[in-house]
Amino acid sequence: MSGMAEKDASRWVYQQPWPARKMTAPPPTMAASPLPPPDPQFVLRGTQSAVHALHFFGGARGQERPLLLSGSLSGLVHIWSLQTRRAVATLDGHGGQCVTWLQTLPQGHQLLSQGRDLKLRLWDLAEGRNAVVDSVPLESLGFCRSSVLARGQERWMLAVPGRGSEEVQILEMPSKTSVCTLKPEADAKPGMPMCLELWQADSSPRPLLLAGYEDGSVALWDVSERKVCSRVACHTEPVMGFDFDSQKARGVSGSAEKALAVWSLDEQQALQVCGTHELTNPGIADVKIRPDRKILATAGWDHRVRVFHWRTMKPLAVLSFHSATVHCVAFATDGLLAAGSGDQRISIWSLYPICRDASTPLLGHAEGGEVGAHALA
Amino acid sequence: MAVFDTPEEAFGALRPVCVQLTKTQTVENVEHLQAQLQAVSDSALQELQQYVLFPLRFTLKTPGPKRERLIQSVVECLTFVLSSTCVKEQELLQELFSELSACLYSPNSQKPAAVSEELKLAVIRGLSTLMHSAYGDIILAFYEPPILPRLGFAVSLLLDLAEQEKSKQIKIAALQCLQVLLFQCDCQDHPRSLDELEQKQLGDLFASFLPGISTALTRVITGDFKQGHRIVVSSLKLFYKTVSFIMADEQLERISEVQPKPAVEHRVAELMVHREARWVKNTSNKLTILIKKISECVSVHPHWKVRLALIELVEALLLKCSQSLVGSAGPLLKALVGLVNDESPEVQAQCNKVLRRFADQKVVVGNRALADILSENLHSLATSLPRLMNSQDDQGKFSTLSLLLGYLKLLGPRVNFVLHSVAHLQRLSKALIQVLELDVTDIKVVEERRWNSGHLSASPETMAPQPWSPMQRRYFRFFADERLFLLLQQLCQLLGFYGDLYLLVDHFMELYRESVVYRKQAAMILNELVVGAAGLEVENLHENHIKTSPEELREIVTSILEEYTSQENWYLITRIESEEVGEELTMKQSGLQAITSGAHTCQVTSFPAFSQPSPTICSMNSNIWQICIQLEGIGRFAYALGKDFRLLLMSALYPVLEKAGDQTLLISQAATSAMMDICHACGYDSLQHLINQNSDYLVNGISLNLRHLSLHPHTPKVLEVMLWNSDASLLPLVADVVQDVLATLDQFYDKRATSFVGVLHALLAALEEQSEPPKADEHDPGPDVAPPLPVQIQIATHVMERCVHLLSDANLKIRLKVLDVLDLCVVVLQSHKNQLLPLAHRAWPSLVHRLTNDNPLVVLRAFKVLRTLGGKCGDFLRSRFCKDILPKLAGSLVTQAPVSARAGPVYSHTLACKLQLAVLQGLGPLCERLDLGEGDLNKVADACLIYLSAKQPVKLQEAARRVFLHLMKVDPDSTWFLLNELYCPEQLTPPHPSLHPVHLRGITGQGNPYATNVLRLLQELQ
Repeated sequence: MSGMAEKDASRWVYQQPWPARKMTAPPPTMAASPLPPPDPQFVLRGTQSAVHALHFFGGARGQERPLLLSGSLSGLVHIWSLQTRRAVATLDGHGGQCVTWLQTLPQGHQLLSQGRDLKLRLWDLAEGRNAVVDSVPLESLGFCRSSVLARGQERWMLAVPGRGSEEVQILEMPSKTSVCTLKPEADAKPGMPMCLELWQADSSPRPLLLAGYEDGSVALWDVSERKVCSRVACHTEPVMGFDFDSQKARGVSGSAEKALAVWSLDEQQALQVCGTHELTNPGIADVKIRPDRKILATAGWDHRVRVFHWRTMKPLAVLSFHSATVHCVAFATDGLLAAGSGDQRISIWSLYPICRDASTPLLGHAEGGEVGAHALA
Repeated sequence: MAVFDTPEEAFGALRPVCVQLTKTQTVENVEHLQAQLQAVSDSALQELQQYVLFPLRFTLKTPGPKRERLIQSVVECLTFVLSSTCVKEQELLQELFSELSACLYSPNSQKPAAVSEELKLAVIRGLSTLMHSAYGDIILAFYEPPILPRLGFAVSLLLDLAEQEKSKQIKIAALQCLQVLLFQCDCQDHPRSLDELEQKQLGDLFASFLPGISTALTRVITGDFKQGHRIVVSSLKLFYKTVSFIMADEQLERISEVQPKPAVEHRVAELMVHREARWVKNTSNKLTILIKKISECVSVHPHWKVRLALIELVEALLLKCSQSLVGSAGPLLKALVGLVNDESPEVQAQCNKVLRRFADQKVVVGNRALADILSENLHSLATSLPRLMNSQDDQGKFSTLSLLLGYLKLLGPRVNFVLHSVAHLQRLSKALIQVLELDVTDIKVVEERRWNSGHLSASPETMAPQPWSPMQRRYFRFFADERLFLLLQQLCQLLGFYGDLYLLVDHFMELYRESVVYRKQAAMILNELVVGAAGLEVENLHENHIKTSPEELREIVTSILEEYTSQENWYLITRIESEEVGEELTMKQSGLQAITSGAHTCQVTSFPAFSQPSPTICSMNSNIWQICIQLEGIGRFAYALGKDFRLLLMSALYPVLEKAGDQTLLISQAATSAMMDICHACGYDSLQHLINQNSDYLVNGISLNLRHLSLHPHTPKVLEVMLWNSDASLLPLVADVVQDVLATLDQFYDKRATSFVGVLHALLAALEEQSEPPKADEHDPGPDVAPPLPVQIQIATHVMERCVHLLSDANLKIRLKVLDVLDLCVVVLQSHKNQLLPLAHRAWPSLVHRLTNDNPLVVLRAFKVLRTLGGKCGDFLRSRFCKDILPKLAGSLVTQAPVSARAGPVYSHTLACKLQLAVLQGLGPLCERLDLGEGDLNKVADACLIYLSAKQPVKLQEAARRVFLHLMKVDPDSTWFLLNELYCPEQLTPPHPSLHPVHLRGITGQGNPYATNVLRLLQELQ
């Protein structure tokens, strides 16, 4: 993975990662090379403010069209219908302060929103309601996004940036009982946590936390033991976002620097960097792996969204549409990609349709075309 | 009236005349009897019935030749008696029947005797009356086998009369009498309901006559149309009543195979018919031939009542004899459905009623045999359809298609059996495609242009109340009759309603894709299929038929829509070259010279100028129609889906709006009416409402298409149309698109400036509309932080920057448009001097150039901008104007004046003259607006004075006068002085002798060329 690869991608812009029989994005006339840049499927306008958080909601079991939630700099959360492509509701719960993180809970229609007003709000969205039902005070003014571990049970776990600048706090919800505070050892000095991800291996009952820090390192915490299992320096600049593929035990992170880092977790729960992928421009605000774990997308400060093949990290496409920093990307279970930007627009992309493969149980939605998935296996 | 109420009294009165009649049988005596009878009450006469009948019967039975007149009067008298009494004895009935029948019997031939018409009529009436007077049970006893010979005799007699007689009256009377004899009389006196046994008894008896009756009646029915419709109607009635009685399924199914031994003499037994299966089959075969003859002949009968009777016939036979006459079902159904579109509304209504009844009672669907026959008919019709469409005239096509329509109506959902046969579907579609071929030779279609730039021509007043807008008139190659098109529409709708929609849409989509030859027709058909599937204009005859669900329909419409609006089907060549390129070319060739006053002249005539092989007019015409049909389709889809169509607006509205801005009149009209259909369907009050409410979808399309401008060259036009037709509420939405537009414009200054300038114009017009008056608090900005500029100010600033560049564009049209945009920018930015002034400064050199060195049209437009600018920032402008512009303009006016003064009438058409005129027209208002100082005003005045000369062209004089009118408003005194210096109409006498007399230099007298104009101006001053 060198700068050369990135250049190639820019020239080719839109490369097909596998022999495609049916594509939804490019019109048939564009089969001939050179391929023109792909277009968004559509663009959502109307936030009237930079978009900082995106989250798809619903549609997983194919029972209804998914909704898209967006959080804006002006503190509003918009709920978009992907059927009408219009905002169906607006939630105003952060006193005009930027909404940085959005997450729905698997049970019930509940939404968590994190704002720079130091509040984490829990919303009830069932049956068209949109009321705040609970709220968790935060104590860190950073941009660190929280994380949730919920497996359909009554109780769930929440990781939020803690009071001390290097701390992460773990809460049991919905009782809001503090479980513990994860504080790095005195000599580590990783700086502020920048991004968090709680997860739990299928085989183990122990919840784990991945955290990206200001010094560019990623650490794995054993929450019950309250200790760092492993820490690895991935970047020289703060980690801005990462995503972790728990099945392959592999993660990818982006930072303020000009590279993506891919790291993995071995059986001894030791993190190690597998490689870095050089980019043309510095600054990745967000990284997301698609639910089928075939591709990943990055949100770039250079206004672009980049798409990579997750297994090989081969660059597939550079999506240029936005005219300002892309702050966040999100994938729907049916494969739709959304990108939110400082230009106040949310672009929706339908790139490589998800195949209806039995091995990807997450994909209940029946819209994807049939792509030769064998090439990805 | 009756005088003799009791039998005794009556007997007393009747006895002498009866005796007299018995003795001497004369007409007079019969008349006497009849006269007496008038005075006898019915009850008394009933008692004396036999007594009175005796002399009459005696007269009839007396052997030897009799005078016809006598017989006639006897029969009439007899009839009178019978009409007032009942026949209660079986024997009497039989005897009277024979005696009456015998009156018409000619012993020498089988034919009726050659007697007078009056006698025939009298006998027929007598027979009819006799049968009516038969009392209760004896009538059934009458119809026993032994009567067969006599009844047969009467029947054949009457049939002969009905067939052979000349008199219509006799024919009809004979037919009605037959009806009575055959127990099918409509009148109330008969016992209406017979039980099963009785029915069988009569049926067995009448079966013997069926061949005779049916063949004779068929001859009558299929006879000359001129014989009068009542005879045909009566014959038809008699035919179906008799046939449906004798052949009734209900009766036949109870008849045993073995004939019971009849207890009658051999002679009669021979005549008897046993209606067992074989007989039924044979008879049915023969009847089928007759029925076919009848239906073929009668369905084209000119009189509607006859056709109406045919429907009755079909109904009766199909309802009662669907099994026994199964072979006739084909022709019967064909006759019925063929009348479904009859020209007579009564026939049509009755036909539909019967069809509905059949459907209700599941006559066809519930009956495999009939349904099969119907499908078979449809099969064979589908097979011959292409040939028929090719060979028939309009009328023939009309009846063929009506027939098809009828089959579809009757078959309902079962039509799919035919559609599922590939061969038949192909036949059917081929015929439809063939007959719907358009005539595309009309050149006007290509020529007609619309010229108003952005506003959609369908303003609210054309938002008519009808559910959808009337269709554009189109011409077909293979028919001219408008009704045929309506019929075809109905057909397609019915297909869409009952047929397998997925199958049909797939099929016609394939044809659509297959060849440009089929494309338009296939689209027309698809449009109607969808409307039909929605069930909006279809009368459903089949209650259990399940319509296509709204979701399915939406899915289907979505896929058709996708096809219609795809790159290769939506962007067709509809004119030679892009108009813009064409225009630019013309401009370059003609330079500045050939600017006619109407910038909007059609330039389509310059075809030969282009050397590359151009598409033919026909193919362009065809393309235009295709787009129109597809647009119409979108309107139809909206109509079919109703409010559901809203979900499709995100993909449908953009392409329609794109076409609404098309320069081909027909296309733009079609698009506008499609949009109105959408308004109606989705509940928008107006086109503006529709556009406003869905501007987010439009903006989405616009912004994505701007990324590929070469693929979507019309994108700016869509934005323009959208902006012209919406209000400021969508401004926040378009802000980012405007940035895109400007960025794209920067990229394509050379190629696409025309379309972009149009967008900028529309945009600024929208901004101007909502630009609010300057706010009070604006003078109090924070000490350090300037508040962010409002969006519209930002936009206007960006646009004005671009205008600076475009002001010197080589294309005249662009320069003119840019000046308009600039003008609007100034208005919008008026309250933001910090933005306006630097931009005005940057625009200045170019603006000076426009005023002093450009086409007259541009000069005038530039003056307008200066005026606006002067109103907003006068100080800024005044000095610059006086320094940079005024000297040049004044100079050119002065140098050009002698030329124009000498020139002939042609001069006024030259560019030089137009320039002079433009400068003169522009100067006045500007001077007034800028509030020029005295020195500068004098410069203006000096330059214009010369043009007050009568030697100048009239137009220039007028313009110069107007300049002075403006000057007068600024400084009346000096203007007065100046004018008087030129021409002084009267000597000024000082008000006091001590004052010096004033001598103004103006020369008085006839020779002064300035006299007229100065006088007029001075009058204004007073």
